[in-house]
Amino acid sequence: MSKQEKHRILMVSDFFYPNFGGVENHIYYLSQCLINLGHKVVVMTHAYQNRSGVRYMTGGLKVYYVPWKPFLMQNTLPTFYGTLPIVRTILIREKISLVHGHQAFSTLCHEALMHARTMGYKVVFTDHSLYGFGDVGSIHMNKVLQFTLADVTQAICVSHTSKENTVLRSGLPPEKVFVIPNAVDTAMFKPAPERLSNREIVIIVISRLVYRKGADLLVEVIPEVCRLHPNVRFIIGGDGPKRVRLEEMREKHSLQDRVDMLGAVPHAKVQSVLITGHIFLNSSLTEAFCIAILEAASCGLLTVSTRVGGVPEVLPDDMVVLAEPDPNDMVQAITRAIHILPRIDPQEMHTRMKTLYNWHDVARRTEIVYDRALRCSSQNLLERLSRYLPCGSWAGKLFCLVMIIDFLFWRLLQLWQPDRNIEVVPDIHLTNHMQDKTARDSNMYEHLR
Amino acid sequence: MEASIGRRSSPTQPKWRKVAYGGMQPGFQDNHTDESFLEDMIMNASVVKRDLLKVMLDSVSISQYVCIVALVVLVWTYTLRSSFNENSLMLLDIILLGAGFFVFQLTAEMLSFDLLLSYVLKIFFFITGVYFLSPIYHTLTRSISSDSIWALTASLLVLHLFLHNYSGSTVKAPGALENPTFTSNISLNASIVASLLIASRLPSRLHVFAIVLFSLQVCLFAPLVSYCIKKCSFRLHLCFSFGLMAATLFFVYRLHGLLFVLLSGILVFVNLLGPYWLIRIQEYKFEINGPWDEAKLCFNLTE
Repeated sequence: MSKQEKHRILMVSDFFYPNFGGVENHIYYLSQCLINLGHKVVVMTHAYQNRSGVRYMTGGLKVYYVPWKPFLMQNTLPTFYGTLPIVRTILIREKISLVHGHQAFSTLCHEALMHARTMGYKVVFTDHSLYGFGDVGSIHMNKVLQFTLADVTQAICVSHTSKENTVLRSGLPPEKVFVIPNAVDTAMFKPAPERLSNREIVIIVISRLVYRKGADLLVEVIPEVCRLHPNVRFIIGGDGPKRVRLEEMREKHSLQDRVDMLGAVPHAKVQSVLITGHIFLNSSLTEAFCIAILEAASCGLLTVSTRVGGVPEVLPDDMVVLAEPDPNDMVQAITRAIHILPRIDPQEMHTRMKTLYNWHDVARRTEIVYDRALRCSSQNLLERLSRYLPCGSWAGKLFCLVMIIDFLFWRLLQLWQPDRNIEVVPDIHLTNHMQDKTARDSNMYEHLR
Repeated sequence: MEASIGRRSSPTQPKWRKVAYGGMQPGFQDNHTDESFLEDMIMNASVVKRDLLKVMLDSVSISQYVCIVALVVLVWTYTLRSSFNENSLMLLDIILLGAGFFVFQLTAEMLSFDLLLSYVLKIFFFITGVYFLSPIYHTLTRSISSDSIWALTASLLVLHLFLHNYSGSTVKAPGALENPTFTSNISLNASIVASLLIASRLPSRLHVFAIVLFSLQVCLFAPLVSYCIKKCSFRLHLCFSFGLMAATLFFVYRLHGLLFVLLSGILVFVNLLGPYWLIRIQEYKFEINGPWDEAKLCFNLTE
């Protein structure tokens, strides 16, 4: 087997620590596993309240909190060319070879990918969500995505349904899109040491209480289940605009002793809430890939979920009970789950999850995508512009114009602040096993300042 | 390269499954596109096939309303030129009120005496209110120049025509199911403001009262009356519309030649060219549905 070359990757997204969520965790875990494989990873995101500047995280993961404040739903203000200087500086300082952007909804990601392509870097994009085609917001978002993906080197989606959705929205050829799912940290999500008794069955719901996550379905389902099964209790974690409706439902049916509302649960405490239950209920109306289900399965809970988006692909049929997003169907699914429950062994489920999902496996598959990307040929400006023209009769020409101005701005920056004047950062190695690899790499080993 | 389209290279190779667990599937790359790719996509599921004749007949209600607005503007023009005096305007108001009421009685369900009395009472309050407010309207725009008034009125009327609800009525008829929409409220307000602006340019208070009453009658009740006619009998609606269009074209011709050409151009576009264009571009409609759509709740949210 030939020696794998090590890459230097820049992850860009608006969504990163200190926020917690699917995209944030994905970037963090993927970066950590890539560092373990010997690559260098740098993350770029916007500033969060006071957290601005350069920070280091576990394993030497360097994070640039660029001093731009978020202006709408955690996104930075889209200024088209405003981020070019800082992106160029980071790419040159860290000697980046590949840029990896995350989440179609992140304006910083789109801008950084555009600038990286202008400067000739290879670009990979990962899409984490599903979008529709009909309403005004989706139509604009899809056009922006078409622009970014017209010239992307490779794309990654987190499920097969997400791949179909992305291919339809952006017009990419399907061979360019790789399906690499998320994974779960099975070391953190362990089941309870002792099995819980089956006398009283506890159903756990942990999600943001918003319309998209099916909080209205919960309002219909919970009273019915409590009526049919007297030994069932619910624990609801999470907060949001629909919490009021759930509280009303609790009052109306006098379920105060059978439904516990915990409020917002911090990410570190999720495991301790999960291990108090037998069944995990997910009622979302749309999901590209549901990590919450993986966390629940890793803790040994049987999952009941709505059959939407990419959920049917996530777990094998004996670990999940699927239902249509209809209250009656969901009540029947919960009843079936309660009957299956005695046959479930949490420890065995946890062991099985360790074989099914693994962040190191995700990192290896992502590495294959990076290798493919770097082997693609470079193209000059004219060849790249011809990829934008098919985007639309007016849009194609507008996109070409945007890229030409970006190119000119880049040349101007090169004249004003030449590449050789930008100081290159020496690599700081914080883990022992990297020392063997440094002998073969050309990185310098510098003292910590 | 390695991206293959669903072929088994050997009998012992397992089939590709559409699952995300278990790591990379043996024998297949991550960018493998199976034959079942996009097989759950449904195209143009809820698109209605339109018929040219039906669209043209439906567009008659749009041109009818455009003619009503044109007649109102005619009355305003003649009043501003002092061709109508206040007595003839008052007579016009009373005739319109009576005629509208008569048509409403004929075409809607028979009203009971109590309901009739409540309507008469409401109209009486309405007229009294307008009478007592007319001195205010008389001096409302004294400090504003005339061309601002004409420009503002013209733009408000255009806004009114664009946002008007041509299928229903903003003022709810008894027995109507739908509530008025947001845009139809905006259009009603635009027409009321336009009529007040015109009224403020008139010489005497009685003029103002007559014109405001006339404009408000038409703005508020003309859609209601035409909705009732349409609900009662479609042929009556067609006859009424064509008669109205002919009368409007005749009167506008007498006023100004260029406006006549403009109005007939608009009517031809709305009735003939518009439907044809709509049917032509329907073939480009591409509605995509599939497993990635957000699920619709099948029950109504009761607050």
